[in-house]
Amino acid sequence: MRLRFIAVAGCVGVLVFGVAACGDDDDNGGGGGGASTGAATAGGGGGETVKIYSSLPLQGASKDQTAAMVQGIELALEEAGGTAGDVTVEYESLDDSTAQAGNWDPGQTAQNARKVAQDDKAIGYIGEFNSGASAISIPIINEAGIPQVSPANTYVGLTTDEPGSEQGEPAKYYPTGKRTYLRIVPRDTIQSAALLTQMKQDGCTKVAVANDKETYGAGLARLMEIQAPDIGGIEIVTNEGIDKAAANFRSFAANIKSKGADCFFFAGVTANGAVQIFKDVAAALPEAKLYGPDGVCESGFTNPSKGGIPKSIAPRFKCSVATLDLQSYPGGQEFLDAFSAKYGNDNPDPYAIYGYEAMKLFLDTLAGLGDKATDREAVLQALFDTKDRDSVLGTYSFDENGDTTLTSYGIYEVGDDGNPVFASAVEAQGAEQ
Amino acid sequence: MGATVQELLSKYGLIALLLVLPVVYGIQDLRDDGNLAGIANNLFDGLSNGAIIALIAVGYTLVYGIIELINFAHGEVFMIGSFTAVAFWGLIGLGLGSSVIGLVLGLLLTLLVAMATCGGMNVMIERVAYRPLRGAPKLAPLITAVGMSFILQNVGLLWLGGSPKSVDDLIRAQDDLFTVIGINVSRADLLAFAVTVPLVVLLTLFVTRARLGKAMRATAQDPEAARLMGINVDTTISLTFLIGGMMAGAAGLTYALYQTTIWFFQGFQAGLLAFTAAVMGGIGNLRGAVLGGLIIGCIQQISDNRISPSWTPAIVFAYLILIMVFRPQGLLGEETREAG
Repeated sequence: MRLRFIAVAGCVGVLVFGVAACGDDDDNGGGGGGASTGAATAGGGGGETVKIYSSLPLQGASKDQTAAMVQGIELALEEAGGTAGDVTVEYESLDDSTAQAGNWDPGQTAQNARKVAQDDKAIGYIGEFNSGASAISIPIINEAGIPQVSPANTYVGLTTDEPGSEQGEPAKYYPTGKRTYLRIVPRDTIQSAALLTQMKQDGCTKVAVANDKETYGAGLARLMEIQAPDIGGIEIVTNEGIDKAAANFRSFAANIKSKGADCFFFAGVTANGAVQIFKDVAAALPEAKLYGPDGVCESGFTNPSKGGIPKSIAPRFKCSVATLDLQSYPGGQEFLDAFSAKYGNDNPDPYAIYGYEAMKLFLDTLAGLGDKATDREAVLQALFDTKDRDSVLGTYSFDENGDTTLTSYGIYEVGDDGNPVFASAVEAQGAEQ
Repeated sequence: MGATVQELLSKYGLIALLLVLPVVYGIQDLRDDGNLAGIANNLFDGLSNGAIIALIAVGYTLVYGIIELINFAHGEVFMIGSFTAVAFWGLIGLGLGSSVIGLVLGLLLTLLVAMATCGGMNVMIERVAYRPLRGAPKLAPLITAVGMSFILQNVGLLWLGGSPKSVDDLIRAQDDLFTVIGINVSRADLLAFAVTVPLVVLLTLFVTRARLGKAMRATAQDPEAARLMGINVDTTISLTFLIGGMMAGAAGLTYALYQTTIWFFQGFQAGLLAFTAAVMGGIGNLRGAVLGGLIIGCIQQISDNRISPSWTPAIVFAYLILIMVFRPQGLLGEETREAG
């Protein structure tokens, strides 16, 4: 009996040790498992109350980007005094990730979308961060007729049937037949062309591509294959979907070495084996240049202290994000000043400005509608009618698919502190809107 | 006639099956390059990867052999081994700038700590979750094993978060050391063999020669008879868990140094492969587990390199199914009470 007590005590000790050892550098959500976090900000406006939700992966590798987005959203709402015209606006941040996945989760995403769809006060939905997650939430939100704005999705098939999309897209995401989804970042048609243009400038001739097999990663990799001949001078020697749980990718690396690859591109997000595949490819191809899209262009991937790639391969790595140097935007400096005043952070993640603009777009649209601000149909129409909007991101409009007319992509390198820093803007050769 | 065909298939079909991939790609290499360096490198990398799987598989097979329980928590014990090793080498200050002597001594110490931690943890798991259920229906300990697996997975999740973490490449794992007959031998390869081969040899000697090892085999064959002969069955079973856990701890450190990335889910993936290796080799059979691990490593590497990484999990398990069809008792045969 005493032995059993000692053994039980020992096991409890191990568990306590594990919990105590819980690092503070990642996933503070810990055992939360993707519960939504309430961050309601109510203002003092009169009239009716409407609610705007965001659904973003607040745990896992993307959390630095999404936390900055939520801060941007809250800043925009605070600047507006919690109101839009005569209506009071409440905001709630939902988490579409789980600690277990360390990434967005299909079940959690659907649950968030259903929660919003059942809320009569819901007038806007900001999300998702991942294109694969939006493929799940768009149909649910669409049936409820709620306007949805993504601050980060780039997969072409969500809005168009352009090359790179799959059969049946985008119609299958809109069961009502009416569009309810818009995005304020340029789609992957632009990102892919921008990356290929950068690779060509850097002297790449044979590019090996790997993708994480998700909607976003596989779609972007497909686009690279399609667009490479148009750019000219670049051959895609392989495009492989990887098993994200594989222990290593050394055989894959040896394989692309035998194909003479001089550059490597991974289409996917950090959580899907990105760090390991870059390490293995960098070791097998010591001279190769390494590239990644916005899915890995974040400190969780680039910073060794956060479990990212080692410092030794950082100088060979470049990635693309739709954001340029924040100060170069028309309202960039004001945004940075306001952000710094509220959060004490002079150097926010580039995605903060997209969260800010997504909320500001909703607030301005609601304010412009007067007493129709609680009418989802009217809000939706007004959003699609947005023309030449002067925003912190520059002047843009939406086309009939809900895509922005913005086309800028920034190339980022790894800075001395291990985080991505803006290096240059790239004009995508051959990209057509 | 049917029985003869069955016997022939069982005897030679399996060998033919295992040789299909190397032979096909060997011929392709000869045709394209005029030598066999390509396939030889694939097989060597496979053996090196498989050595880590083999160390984990040994733990599965030892436990199954003695109490006929699939210890689903074993993969997670391996994961905790990796986490412990990385935490400990950080604690004693091992880093990229450490001297060679400091590194060797530090890593040896880390190996001992990881083995002791995992061995101790495995003993406690047996004491708390399995021993009270020894007389219960077989499903009961199976469920507690699954439960322990999830508990340990959550410990890992709380410890390092949900994303894979890159760790310092202390041994510069992928630097090539030398080339023999066209095969590039890296530091990681040398590490995998340097840890696995002595441990497996020692373990085999212990089980076959040592008094306690004989007690383990006796308990595996017939616990009641072993008890009547004066063997302390409870202690023997604890010893089995201790040894299995120590092997998982060694595998944990090797994995962290070899892959240079650790995460809470690594135990599930590696555990699944190791369990497959144990079944492939013949559950309960020590040499079978090692052989199964090495074969799975080779299939993985050939598939990753020659076919497509997308297909690798499907190809590994297709092989398992075919081997089970040809030889249900595994490659070297089961060594369990049921198997006689």
